[in-house]
Amino acid sequence: MIVQLLVSGIAVGIVYGLIAMGMVLIFRAVGIMNFAQGDFLMFGGYFAYTFNQMLGLNIVLSLILASLCMGVIGVIFMRTSYWALRGAQAKAIIVSAMGASIVLKEGARLIWGSIPLSLDKVKEGSVTVAGATIQWQYVAIIGIALLLMLLVYLLLEKTFVGNILQATAQDQYMSSLVGIPVIVSIGLTFFLSAALTGICGGLLAPIFFLSNTMGATAGSKAFAAIVIGGFGSVPGAIIGGLIVGLVEQFGGAYISSTYQLVLIYVVLIAFLMFRPRGLFKEKIQEKA
Amino acid sequence: MNAFANAEKKPKLVLVDVCKNFGGVTAAQDIQLEIYSGEVVGLIGPNGAGKTTLINLITGVYPVSRGKILFDGREITHQPTYKRALEGIGRTFQHPHLLDRCDVLTNGITGSDMAARKRGIQKVDLAKELPRLLACAGLEGINLSDPVSKLAYGQQKLLEVVRVLLSQPQILLLDEPAAGLNNREAEYVSALIQYATEKGIGVLLIEHSMELVMSVCDRITVLNFGTQIATGTPEQIQSNPEVIRAYLGGGDSDAEN
Amino acid sequence: MLQKSKKNPVSAMAMTAFALLLALAPVATSVYTVHVISVAMISYLCVLSVYVLLGLCGQNSFAQAGLWGVGAYLAGNILLKTGGGTLTAFVVAIAGTALLAFVLGFAFFRLKQYYFTFASIGLMTILNGVFMNWEPFSGGAVGMKNIPTFTFFGWQATTEQSKFYIVLVVCIVATVLIGLLFRSSLGRAFMAIRDNEMTADSMGINSLLTKSIAFAISGALCGAAGALHASLSGYLSYQSFTYNQSTIYLIMIMIGGTISPAGALIGTCVITILQEGFRSLQDYMQLIYGVGVILLMIFQPEGILGGGKALYERICERRKKAKAGSR
Repeated sequence: MIVQLLVSGIAVGIVYGLIAMGMVLIFRAVGIMNFAQGDFLMFGGYFAYTFNQMLGLNIVLSLILASLCMGVIGVIFMRTSYWALRGAQAKAIIVSAMGASIVLKEGARLIWGSIPLSLDKVKEGSVTVAGATIQWQYVAIIGIALLLMLLVYLLLEKTFVGNILQATAQDQYMSSLVGIPVIVSIGLTFFLSAALTGICGGLLAPIFFLSNTMGATAGSKAFAAIVIGGFGSVPGAIIGGLIVGLVEQFGGAYISSTYQLVLIYVVLIAFLMFRPRGLFKEKIQEKA
Repeated sequence: MNAFANAEKKPKLVLVDVCKNFGGVTAAQDIQLEIYSGEVVGLIGPNGAGKTTLINLITGVYPVSRGKILFDGREITHQPTYKRALEGIGRTFQHPHLLDRCDVLTNGITGSDMAARKRGIQKVDLAKELPRLLACAGLEGINLSDPVSKLAYGQQKLLEVVRVLLSQPQILLLDEPAAGLNNREAEYVSALIQYATEKGIGVLLIEHSMELVMSVCDRITVLNFGTQIATGTPEQIQSNPEVIRAYLGGGDSDAEN
Repeated sequence: MLQKSKKNPVSAMAMTAFALLLALAPVATSVYTVHVISVAMISYLCVLSVYVLLGLCGQNSFAQAGLWGVGAYLAGNILLKTGGGTLTAFVVAIAGTALLAFVLGFAFFRLKQYYFTFASIGLMTILNGVFMNWEPFSGGAVGMKNIPTFTFFGWQATTEQSKFYIVLVVCIVATVLIGLLFRSSLGRAFMAIRDNEMTADSMGINSLLTKSIAFAISGALCGAAGALHASLSGYLSYQSFTYNQSTIYLIMIMIGGTISPAGALIGTCVITILQEGFRSLQDYMQLIYGVGVILLMIFQPEGILGGGKALYERICERRKKAKAGSR
């Protein structure tokens, strides 16, 4: 039982961590919390469903295609809901992200309907380890998530494009002075963030089912992960995601399944009260 | 004249051996300072000498690392910022910190709101005092219902001083009130300082314009790298060799680091 | 000089005219419309609470629908279980919600910047979870049924019209009180914190206490709205008090504009009219609504009221120029 919960907790948690990472990437780049990130996840899941179930493609290929499509959606989102009002107050940007969230949610309902859907697992069946039955899907999720994290790390730390993204995140004005096209750089960040989150949708769908409202729940858990991990820190977001996943799985099994979400937020508020900077302290200067 | 009066009066604000370290950097080292009611103390020093830090220590924005701050003989070293403000320590900022989405009038009233509440003094008579102060600051022409963002930079800085004066402080800390102002506006600054001293307010003035400092200050203290290198009357300061060295550069080797 | 610069009375006059017009609504329209307007007025109270917190004090909360729920369930419990009257329920709902908000405010506002917003999202989720699961208090997933309608000293409000007037009176009283708050020193302290917390501190404003009071006032408004909701609909379900509902309030105030209570009114009207007026397009309504929100934020981030004000000022300026030119 414990091993099973541990594996499922880590698998779910690492996905939350990936979503949280997507949010942190955007936050570092533009200083705004993206309240539509959860809907990126939902939309990505539906894209994967389209390629996998409707067009009959292989699931891995579907995931890759879905993530590319989401990247494009991310860029559109950035152009309409962020770039067009980057001079406005933060609350205006937050509200426009909420508008975008409604558009995505309703768009998905109109295109794919409101009946919960499912799609193929990456690998069917299960394996028995130390008396515990572990679904292959969980193992696959953990593997894919780790691979994605490695890729993002390499992209950001080891490549020229990564340097440009990081430079823009540090200081937009300065970057424009040294000749970096800021809009392209920020667009790339949104592309990356949305693409990552889109894959998560395809990975979670076989476990939780797809519905157009799944974004809010998943988004709020990712958001808890960010605060727990330490605001603005990428490793913090991943560790925070794991904590949320484990609290959810173990709390659901041992304490109460109805209070699962409440439990996560009790942990969140406890962190806010007693360790407001989270597990990983990261100093980010305030941006307007 | 002031020295005479000081001999019998007690100082309003006293800093005893105040120290502040930021990590390894010493921003204030054993600062001794006394401000009496109705006098103007100048605080000068090169950039980065720790002048603004000192104001932030007096107002409680930063906690002191060591030392004591006394106001009216009572220790206020560990009080939060707002309590010190209620006691009667008013300040302005290097860059004007006005309520930028409110109109000029609201900015003025907000200044007068809080102070009177705690200290039990008569609330300032806005209808009389506000026009007087605005005239003093050369702002009599502005429309009170305009948002402050419509004002020019210099006008904003002057309005900030007006707002603090409306709160009837007992000690007024001015952080470079004349920086970025043209000559005419700088004259309004000294008019406002004069207004304050007439009301018996003790003023601590940080300023780079030597002309202003030398003309309005009763005493001057000079900071360099967080240490007080000289204190005295304007004449004494002008002829102090250590001050000249600090301002002209060169000098002791540890200052270079 | 000081009198002249008193707040522009146009918005107060417009709101009075609107209230009078509303008071005639039961005479002129159907029972259904009256009910819709009553519900909208309750939303208005919640949006007004967002105005106090965001528009005046600059703090962004996502927990308003949760506080609304607290007020509603408190009133429901008083009415159903203790046999208390409408007035008791009303007082308990307002006081209880305000107290809860005040205490939580003290805890949450210790953290600066974004953290209050995050904590409020957490609070919203927790409250919703509690409403859904804590059966003794909220009736759990089944909810609370048969809550008696408004009763004052033996007189019962049975018709939609009489309920409508009760809600209207509460709304007017709340609006007047918030108008007074705007002019008071407390209101100015809120605005000082909104514009610059460091300045507020340096002027002697205890920002922790002041922000908690702002949250408490917004809690009281939500509590009142909750008590009205309980008696008006007679039925409470946890599905009303959701995070989504909180975001709708936020969207309403942003559409109307955060510069005055009139913004809350405009926002509530616009959204209600859109929701009711385009029922035939219902399938696409939400989508259009989302696009509309984005467009509005792009072209008028200060909301309809802010846009109107800017337009008015521009016209005034032009008229002044024209006058100067003709001279």
